[in-house]
Amino acid sequence: MELAWYALLGLFFATYLVLGGYDYGVGLLLARRGPTPGSRATLAALGPFFLGNEVWLVAAVGILFGAFPRLEGELLSGFYPAVLAALAGVVLVTAGVQLRSRPVSGTARAGWDRVVVVGGVLAALGWGAVLGGLLQGVPLSADGHVVGVGHLATPFVAAAGLALLALVAVHGATFLTLRLPAAEAPALARLAAGLVPAALVAVGAATVLGVLSDRVRAAVARPAVAVLLPLALVAALLTARAALRRGRAGVAFAATATALALPAPLVGAALWPRILVSTADPAASLTVAEAAAGRPTLALLGWLALPLVPALLGFQAMCWWVFRGRIDGRAPVYW
Amino acid sequence: MDPLLLARLQFATTTSIHFLFVAVTLGLVTLLVGLQTAGFLTGKPVYERLTRFWGQLYVINYVLGIATGIVMEFQFGLNWSGLSRYVGNVFGAPLAIETLVAFFLESTFLGMWIFGWHRLRRGVHLALLWGVAITAYASAFWIMVANAWLQNPVGYEVRDGVAHLTDFGALLTNPTFGMAFGHVISASLVTGGLLMAAVSAWHLLRRTSDYALFRTSLRLGLVTAALAVSTLQGFGFAQFGPVAQLQPTKFGGGPERDTLVADWTARYGPGDWDPPVLSNVGLGFMILIGFTLGALWLLLPLLWRDWIIRLRFPLWLILLGLPLPFVAMLLGWIAREVGRQPWAAYGLLPTAQAVSPVSPGLMLASLIGFSLLLGALAVTNWTLLARHAARGAYDPALGRPPAPDTDPHHQPVLV
Repeated sequence: MELAWYALLGLFFATYLVLGGYDYGVGLLLARRGPTPGSRATLAALGPFFLGNEVWLVAAVGILFGAFPRLEGELLSGFYPAVLAALAGVVLVTAGVQLRSRPVSGTARAGWDRVVVVGGVLAALGWGAVLGGLLQGVPLSADGHVVGVGHLATPFVAAAGLALLALVAVHGATFLTLRLPAAEAPALARLAAGLVPAALVAVGAATVLGVLSDRVRAAVARPAVAVLLPLALVAALLTARAALRRGRAGVAFAATATALALPAPLVGAALWPRILVSTADPAASLTVAEAAAGRPTLALLGWLALPLVPALLGFQAMCWWVFRGRIDGRAPVYW
Repeated sequence: MDPLLLARLQFATTTSIHFLFVAVTLGLVTLLVGLQTAGFLTGKPVYERLTRFWGQLYVINYVLGIATGIVMEFQFGLNWSGLSRYVGNVFGAPLAIETLVAFFLESTFLGMWIFGWHRLRRGVHLALLWGVAITAYASAFWIMVANAWLQNPVGYEVRDGVAHLTDFGALLTNPTFGMAFGHVISASLVTGGLLMAAVSAWHLLRRTSDYALFRTSLRLGLVTAALAVSTLQGFGFAQFGPVAQLQPTKFGGGPERDTLVADWTARYGPGDWDPPVLSNVGLGFMILIGFTLGALWLLLPLLWRDWIIRLRFPLWLILLGLPLPFVAMLLGWIAREVGRQPWAAYGLLPTAQAVSPVSPGLMLASLIGFSLLLGALAVTNWTLLARHAARGAYDPALGRPPAPDTDPHHQPVLV
C-alpha cells in the first residue's frame, strides 16, 4: 500500500518536472533578445497546457500531505530555503505567464518577461536543490526533526540545482522546436542543441561532486541506481542533440522529457526504503513506511484514487490531443 | 522574534489575500456558467460578448487565486510541520482529495476553456466551463471539510500521540462544516454578484457604449447578490448555536467555557485558553455589513422600467458598496480562525505545538518575502482588473476570433 502511494507520488512529481520543466525552460528563453520568435509567440506555444502543468505539483504535494504527512512536514520545513526558492519561482512564473500580455504597453510586458525568467530560474534551482539535498541526507535528530538548514549549503546541492536548471533550459528549447511554426524550428533546434553541452557539464559536475561527497556515499542505499541516474541523463541529452541535428524534434523532446522524468524516481529508488536519511544518527532515518499515513487514511484515499487517476490522465490527454501539433498564425493566443 | 507569531502572521496574510480572490472566482464562475449557457441555448450574440468580457476578468482574477493557493498548500509543510505530524493522517485526507478531485481538474478545464474558443464545438466548450465551476465548488467543499475539522476534530482516535482516521463520514457530517460551507458559497455569490453589478454601474454612470450589455449584467449581478445575501445571513446565524456549543471559548463567557478551560488547564497546564478579543470585534462589524448588504433587496424594485439606471444614485450606492463584501469576508474568517486560538485543531493540538522548528530569521525572511510578493501581485492584479473592467466589452483578448488569413507564417497576431 505504501509502495503504491510512493509510486503515485513519484509519478506526479516526475510528471510535474517534465511538464512544469518545459514551462520554466520556455520562461528562461524569454531572456533571449532576438527578433524571432517574440515573447508572445513563445508563450503561445505553452498555450492551454500551461494551466494543466503546474497542477501536477499541487497534486503531488496534496498526495504528500495526505499519504505521507510526516514526510511532508519534515521535507518542506527541513529544506526551507530550497523550497522557498522553488515556491517563489512557481508563483512568479504562474503570475508572469498569465498576466504578461494583459497590459498593453511594451515596457510592462518586458517587465513581466523578466519576472517569468527569474521565476523559471528559481523554480529549477529550488527543485534541483531539493533532489540533491535528499541524496546527501539530512541531520535528522532522534525526535524526528531536521535540525537547521545549513545541511543544504554544499557544493553538491548547488551543482544539483544548476544541473536541473540546465536540463530545464534544454527541455524548454526542445519543446519550442517541436511546437513553434516549422519555419522557426531549425534556429530553435540549433539553440537547443547548443545548450546540451552546458547541461552535460552541469550533470557531470554534479556527478563528480556527488561521488566525492561522503554524505552522498553514506546516504545512498543503492549505488548502482544512483550511478544510473547521471548515465541515463547523459544518454538522454546525447540522444536529444543527435535528434535535434537531424530535425527530429519529436524524438528530441521524448529524450529531454525522459531526462526530466528520471531524477525523481531514481533518487527515490537510490534511497529506498528510506527517504530522509539521517546524517546525524543512522537509526533516526525516516523510511517510506514510517512516513506514510495510517492504513485507514491510505485505504480511503486509495478507493478515491482508483477511478480518479485515470480520469485525471484522461482529461490531460484530451488537452494534449485537442491542442496537439505546431502552432500557427491561427492558433488562439491569450498569454 | 517568536517563530509562532511569525508563522501565524504569514498564514493570516496569505489566507486573507487568497480569500479576496477565490471568493470572486467562485462567484463569477457561477454567473459565467449562467451567461454561457444562456448564449448556448438562445444563440444571442450578447451572451457571448458578456461571457468574453466577464470571462476575461474572471481569468485575470483566477491567477492570484492559484498563486496564493499554492503558497498556502506549501505553508502547511513549511511553517506548520506539527500539523502534518500530529493530525496529518486525518487533516491531510480532505486536502489531498481537494488537490486531486478539484484543483487539478479545475485548472486543466480552464486551460482548455481559455484556448478552446472557436476551436472546440460549442457544446464541449460550454461543458468545460461547467467542469470549471463544478470543480471550483468541489474545491471549496473539501477545503471547508478540512477547515471544519480544525474547528471541531471528529472521526479520529489518538494513538502514540498521533491522530488516526477512524470515521471519514464524521468529517462530512461535522456540525462546523455544512452551514459554514453554505455561508462561504453565499458570500462568494454576493461578492461576485456585487462586483458584476458595480462594474456595470460604473459603465452606466459613465454612459459608455454597450448600454444594453451592461444593463443585462447589472440586473444579473444585482439579483444574484440580493438572493445570496439572504442565504448568507441565514447560514451565518444558523452557525451561532453549534459553534457556541462546540467551541465555548470562541464567543467567551458562560459556564461551558469555564468547565472547558478548567479541563484544559488540568490536561495541558495553566495558560491563556481564550482567543484574542479582536476576533469578536470583527464579527460584530461583519454582521453590521451583512445587514447593510441586505438593503440590496430595496434596490430590486427599481429594476422595474430601469429606474435604477434613470435615478443614477442607486448606481452610486452599488459602486460604493463594492468593498463591503470583501471587508466582511476577511472579518468573518478572522472571527472563525482567530476565535479558534490557541488551538491549531480545537482542543486537540495547541498552535504552539504545530509550528515548525524553523529558525525565526528564516521564518521572518519568508514572511516578509512572501507578503511583499503576494501583496505586490495582488495590487498589480487589481490594477489590471480595473483597467480591463473600464476598457469595456469591446473586443477582449479572451475568445478573440482567429485572424481570417489562411497563410500561417505571416501573422501579426503573434507579435
